[in-house]
Amino acid sequence: MVENYAILPCNGLDKCAGVISGEIAKKLCENEKNEIICPVFYRVADAKYNKIAGEHPLLVIDGCPTRCASKLAAEKNLKISQRILITEEAKYHHIELNSGLRILENEKSLIEIILNGLNKAEAKPTKVSKETKASYNFDYETFQNGKFIFRVPKNSEVYYNENDCWAYVVGNLARIGVTDFVQQNLSDILYFTPPEIGAEIDQFGEVGDIESSKALVELISPVSGKVVSINESLVHQPEMINENPYELGWVAEIELTDFESDKELLIGFDKYFELLKKKVEGSNG
Amino acid sequence: MSETTFMGVERDKIDWKPTIDYSKCDYCMECTNFCPHKVFEVNENEEIKLIVRNPNNCVVFCRACSKICGPDALSFPDKNATTQRIKEIRKEEKNG
Repeated sequence: MVENYAILPCNGLDKCAGVISGEIAKKLCENEKNEIICPVFYRVADAKYNKIAGEHPLLVIDGCPTRCASKLAAEKNLKISQRILITEEAKYHHIELNSGLRILENEKSLIEIILNGLNKAEAKPTKVSKETKASYNFDYETFQNGKFIFRVPKNSEVYYNENDCWAYVVGNLARIGVTDFVQQNLSDILYFTPPEIGAEIDQFGEVGDIESSKALVELISPVSGKVVSINESLVHQPEMINENPYELGWVAEIELTDFESDKELLIGFDKYFELLKKKVEGSNG
Repeated sequence: MSETTFMGVERDKIDWKPTIDYSKCDYCMECTNFCPHKVFEVNENEEIKLIVRNPNNCVVFCRACSKICGPDALSFPDKNATTQRIKEIRKEEKNG
């Protein structure tokens, strides 16, 4: 249940989804224990809202994928506890929003659905992530460029795609994550959207995304299979990816369906290490 | 031989780039600010102010710009079809 929260909507007035975000924030703040943060006033009134945001968990409501409210939260160094994206909710519930700025029937239904979801007691997840007992011991090679150090596991069980994601394969299971190249590029990671437990993923399919104030990166799965567990700690501590994207910051575990075929399009340590060096040198201009 | 390859295949043989739906694009230019690979180009003085200038700079399988596009105006080819195509090209080149 959303109670005792600080609520930051984008409140955007250039799209219907932005108007809806403001409307939901206002409704949530009819419960006096919640506090609204006005995104416009926040730009000029740090003191007032920093205090509110510091004392409550933060719910960010973005209207559209430009994610202005999330960006504002990142700029202000706020930790996001929960986030809603209105256009995504509309898509999920098959509700088409009008092209104007008025709250009509469709918009009203969406607002109601979202509020019901937020206000009901914490639902127990129907699918439980079960971290496997497989052991993953990494042996690193490092490459330094200026003050940045890039670790790359050189274990033969670790495979890479050219999108800077790794898979540590043990039997019919792979633990996956991003490499140091991704976390160094993003710098402080502020948000992690996990894949769904039980989701069937194609090779190079999306397995969640991570976001910093600089960018958003879609995680591209090196392997195909079924997501059997996710690193739930990352939902509240996405910065663990910055600490170590291979150990504490792993993303998900996947039960493999066709690794022999996946392997064709993956590379091992030697090739990835060379590619990483090229990318790092290339990104220096 | 093109300058870059992806998975051992020349980049310009892989059809992977964003397509802009101009009926939705509102020229907010968030995609150009976001993409570090200079895939897009802004032409303020043209009627069509945003184009895909460097499709081969686009990182194969990356669709991040479409995820930050407010009006949902960017689309990409099907990932599975692209994967299959890359496998086919690799096979052709190995046999050829």
